[in-house]
Order: sequence, then C-alpha cells, then structure tokens
Amino acid sequence: MSLSSNALLWITWIGLTLVAGAALAGVMYVGGKRDLLLIGGTTSAHHQIELACETCHTSGLFADARKIEKDMNKACLSCHEDELKVSNDSHPVKKFRDPRNADRREQLDALMCVTCHLEHRPEVTNAMAVTLPNDYCLACHQDVYKERPTHVGSGFETCASAGCHNYHDNTALYEDFLVKHAGGEAIAAHPVQSLAATRGRDPLRIALADADPVATLTAFLRDVADEDKKDTAGVDAVARLARVLDAGDAIAPAAFMSEEAIANWAGSAHAVAGVNCAGCHAPEQAKEGDISAIEANWVESPGMDACQSCHKQEAATFVEGKHGMRAHPELSGPRKEPQNAMLKIAALIFHDEPLPPMPVSEALIPMKPDAAHLTVGSCNACHKPHEQDLKVAAVEACASCHDDAHTKAYFTSPHFRLWEAELAGAGEPGSGVTCADCHMPKIEARGKAFTMHNQNAYFRPNEKMIRPVCSNCHSLEFSIDALADPELVESNFNGRPSLHIPSIDWALSRTRRAE
Amino acid sequence: MTAITTPPSRTHRTPGATRKEIDMKRFIIKAAAIAAMFAAVPTTTLRAEGLEPKDVADMLHAVMDSDRTIYTKMIVARLVNEHKLIKASEFFEDEKAAPLPAQMFRFGAEMVADKTDLFSYSLLSLWPVNKQNAPRTDVEKEGLQFVVDHPGENYYGEEELGGTKYFTAVYADTAISPACSSCHNGHKDSPKTDFKVGDVMGGVVIRIPVE
Repeated sequence: MSLSSNALLWITWIGLTLVAGAALAGVMYVGGKRDLLLIGGTTSAHHQIELACETCHTSGLFADARKIEKDMNKACLSCHEDELKVSNDSHPVKKFRDPRNADRREQLDALMCVTCHLEHRPEVTNAMAVTLPNDYCLACHQDVYKERPTHVGSGFETCASAGCHNYHDNTALYEDFLVKHAGGEAIAAHPVQSLAATRGRDPLRIALADADPVATLTAFLRDVADEDKKDTAGVDAVARLARVLDAGDAIAPAAFMSEEAIANWAGSAHAVAGVNCAGCHAPEQAKEGDISAIEANWVESPGMDACQSCHKQEAATFVEGKHGMRAHPELSGPRKEPQNAMLKIAALIFHDEPLPPMPVSEALIPMKPDAAHLTVGSCNACHKPHEQDLKVAAVEACASCHDDAHTKAYFTSPHFRLWEAELAGAGEPGSGVTCADCHMPKIEARGKAFTMHNQNAYFRPNEKMIRPVCSNCHSLEFSIDALADPELVESNFNGRPSLHIPSIDWALSRTRRAE
Repeated sequence: MTAITTPPSRTHRTPGATRKEIDMKRFIIKAAAIAAMFAAVPTTTLRAEGLEPKDVADMLHAVMDSDRTIYTKMIVARLVNEHKLIKASEFFEDEKAAPLPAQMFRFGAEMVADKTDLFSYSLLSLWPVNKQNAPRTDVEKEGLQFVVDHPGENYYGEEELGGTKYFTAVYADTAISPACSSCHNGHKDSPKTDFKVGDVMGGVVIRIPVE
C-alpha cells in the first residue's frame, strides 16, 4: 500500500515541525547560539553581549513582572553602578522610594532602570538608549516655567537634548558649577593637561640618564614627598634604582632570548620598574627565580591576568568598556551542562561556547576593512609591552581600526597638530591631545592617577567629558558649546562652535537677580 | 499639648481625639522591629506592651532630631561658623566641605529608604530651597502649616498614598542656630529671607505604613 502524496506531505510537515521545534527547544533550554530568539536588536551598549542572555535576564522562567524588573535593576547595576556613583547621579533610585512620590512613580517609575531604558526596542530607542518620549522630565518638573522664567519657550523634549541637563550626570552642568566657571578664555593661556604633564618624563629614566642617578632621583623624591612624613627620599632612591634591570638581567628560556626582544624589554618601563621577563611570562615562578620552573611554565603570550596583577584599575575599567566588555566578570558564561541523561545527549548538539573577543567586523560603527579580522579584548591588542614607545596606544592603535569621520578628521585637527608638536619636542608634555586623552583620560583616584580604560565612562552624554578632559584647556562655555555642536564634533573640533548654549548666561542672570 | 488628627480630607482636626483603629497585630511587630533597630530595647518588652504608631514616630523623631542637632551644633556651628576650621557647602564634594545639616538628614533618610520600608521620613518646608521639598499631599500641607501655627505641638494624621495607608506625623523643624537661619536667608532659592533663630523653618514628616 502506498501513501497518498497528501499523506506524505503531512508526514514530512509534521516531521519537519517536530525537528524544528526540538531544535528551538534545544537552543532555548540546553545550549547553542540564540540569535534566532532575539526579539529585536540591542543598543550599541549591549550589542556585543546580546547573546549572553542570562547576564541581564536573571529571573528564570515564570517570574512575575515586578521581580523581573527588580532583577533587571540588579543586572544593570552589576556593570553600571560605579558609573552612577562617579556621575553623582542626580536622580538616584533612593530619592524616589519615599511614599510621597507614589503618584509620580505612577507616571514615571524611576525606581526601575527599564522604565526609561528598554532593550530590544530599536524602533523607539532615542539618544542615550532612552525608550521614553524625550519629554519625560515633565512628569515631575511641571513647575519649571514658574521657577525658571528663562526656560519659558523651551520644550520639555529639549531639557536633556540641548546640552543643558542630563538625567543622571550633571557634574559639569549644575547651576552653581556654571556660575563658578563662567567666563574664561575659550583656549587657556597655558593649555596643558595637568595629569598628562609628566608623560615622557619618567623620573627614573631621567635619573638613569644623569651622571649621578641617586642624587637626581633623591631630589625628585624629596620634591614630591609629603612634608609631614619622614624624609626617606635618599633611601627610596637607592632602593628604586636597585630595582632597575638591564639587558644582562633578562631571565627567559633561551628560545625567547632574541636580541630584539631583550633590547626592547630593557628599554621599556617594565625593565625600569624591575619587572623581569618571567614577571609576565611565568609570574608565579618568577618569584623563586628558578629558570627550569620558569621554562616549564612559560606563557608565550600572557593575557590580561598578567597585566592586571600590576595594572589593576586599568584592567578593571577596560572590561567595563566596549573594548573589553566580553571579558567582564559579571557576564554570564556558557549555560551549565544539564544533569538529566536525555538533556545530556541533547547537549552534545546544543551547547554554548564562551563569547570570544569581538571581531572588528561586528562593530556597529565604521571600521577599516583591513582590520575586520582583528579583535579587541586583551591588553596587547593596543599595547605592545616589548616596545619602548607606548604612545602607539594613544593614537595609532585607535586609528588602525576606527574609520569614522571623527577619527579621520583628527589627523587634520588642532589637537593632532599639538600632539605632533609634543612628539617633536616643540610642545611641552601634556600639550598634545591624543585620542586617548579624550576617550581614555587620566583620572585621579585616591591621590593617584590612572588611565581610564572604559572608553565609555566619559563619552556619553558627552558633557561627561567636560570635567576630566575639556576643562584642562578650555572654558566651560566653550566646552559646552563645542560638545553640543554635532558638526564640530564630527570634524574633530576643526573650528569654533556654531551655536551657543545659554545655560551659563541663564544661571548668571538668576544669581545676579538674587543678589 | 500634642494634637492628634484624623485624615484632613475626612474630618477637620480634633485635638485630643484618638486615631482610627488600625491593624494592631501587624503594627506591633513592625513597631517592635523599628524600636529594636533604633533603641536596642528587648523586643519582647515592646511586643508585650505594644506601641501606638504615634509613639513610634515620636521615638524615631527624637533620634533624628537629636542627631541633627548634634551635627548642626557640634560640627557646623562650631567648626564652620565659630572656629572656621572647615567649610560646609551644599556642593560638599566639589568644595571638599562638610555636608549641610539638611543634607546630612536627607542622606540618612535615603539610606533608611534603602534598608527598610517599615517607615520613611523627609524634611519639607513651606519655604523650601529646593522646590521638590514643598508639601505635596494634603496631610503634608496641613501638617506643615499646623506646626508653624502651633509652636511646641506636633501634627498626626493618616493618608493613603499609592494604595498604602500611612500614619503620618509632622514635627516642627526649628532654626536651632544662626547657621540655619543665615544660610537659608542668604540662599538665592529661598522664598523667605527673614528667618530668625527659634523660627519654625519647616517640618520633619515621618510615615509609617499601617495597612
């Protein structure tokens, strides 16, 4: 008996449906790439990690909506909490918990991040990943026209889009700051970035080049020493100079002792700071100095683990930014292998792979085609630890991948000309402005400066850049105007702002009236 | 004398009247927990005696008021105004200064809100520097006016906010040192510029959910 073609078609259809259903269930519940399940693209903030679903979706199945929102808040804060602290968040959640704000919460539930920032909704996502209509300030600040007559005529949709206010970060925009920093020259008389003013002037290296290194270094240490402490500059100088290593001190397996590698290392900051080859390539064994143990445990290309043992803040901030976020410790890894025997078999087909560092080709912004195969995600993607010139990471490394109008325009910008002058010795240290100076600025924390490696920390909204970056050389008014001018930003500040944000004028007029 | 009121929207204030019946069983547990947090008194005693929300609010206010008075007098008035050793500023982070007494109080209120929803408190005024701290609910409006009009008295009421019923107490917030009045009088956003020491400048509002 033969089956009718209709029956065959039914059997095929049912079979294919079952196979497809099983595949879908396998991907959903066991493992495998879940891009099919994305209900809409994510913003550029999360695009790299959109397939690590459990990083944000932590509630599990069948959780109620409120629990999901609360869990989502925790997930957001696991990466963004520090940023909110640095921003001195103007609208922290704790301000909205008071029952007197219950009616306001009904209009705008400011307790939940997802009230304003919903992911997977590209069709309604505005600037700063806001998925509410831009007049959200109206919910609580209806009285603004009465309190601030200067604001009459400005729509609520412009509060946060015109260079005047931000919902979270107003550290360079609050009224008293505007008043305090009113006036000043667009470009300072002595435009030098204070925290970059020592670059290229490593006191140890300067001392080493001197006839009497101990005396030079002692003088330097005395100069920077805290007066209240016992003067140990002389002892410190001797100790520091004793740590300096030269080519003859290199400890590495013979196969890696190339003349070039040793020469580069000997001229690097690592050798000056007393970090031998094994300090990075076999850190545990380096402490003992046993060459056979070092050889046995030699890591040819050390990863971030080795770097972060000394460069802790740099590594911690690196994984918070776009270049290293796939290595963030809070990122959900592959799903756990199932215990159930049936599912274990399914896991042979359906299993998660850890997210590899993102290739440049997957970036959402213009990148150089010949860099498509490169990846970020590790320190040595930009830094070459064996090279003496660390400046490559400040400009060239960026431009080797990035190919947008702002990057291209940098090389004809005043900032680049200043950098060229600094490199040539015509400009003083800190007077040149590199990509890293603006996007990975040096930040002072607990009395020490470190290089912020989260390129997003002072990036969006761009007024975040004013305090750590622009204010080094520019007036507040010029900075606000320049950052609010998208064409000027695109041309990499080749020219002057074509618009003026009146916030400082308004703040001054109100203060004067009060006086 | 202490005035106790029923919700203003229903009946007008009746000094001396008792508040409406509330769910005492649940409340006693809450009251015991709150009192234990702040007074370190054995909870069994409080459970046995039970506590009126008014008493709990009064106890909480006694702690809040004392702490802030100490901060105002021993830190701000003494070290800032008298000895001029440190500065106090609204923008204490940028100015590397001490927070103002009102900020110290608010930060405490926010931290409490992070820890518990058994009670909440805020510092409000009919003449607020920050307009977000003006009264918004009927009880806040009536309570703040009451403590201005009745020196030495507190205001107690009930109100429903966001579907929850609250016992709400309002306590006068008085200028206890020249630091308070001079700072408010000189602030560009202060709607009132003639405060004197001893004047009621606003009120502390304590809310305890009772349902």
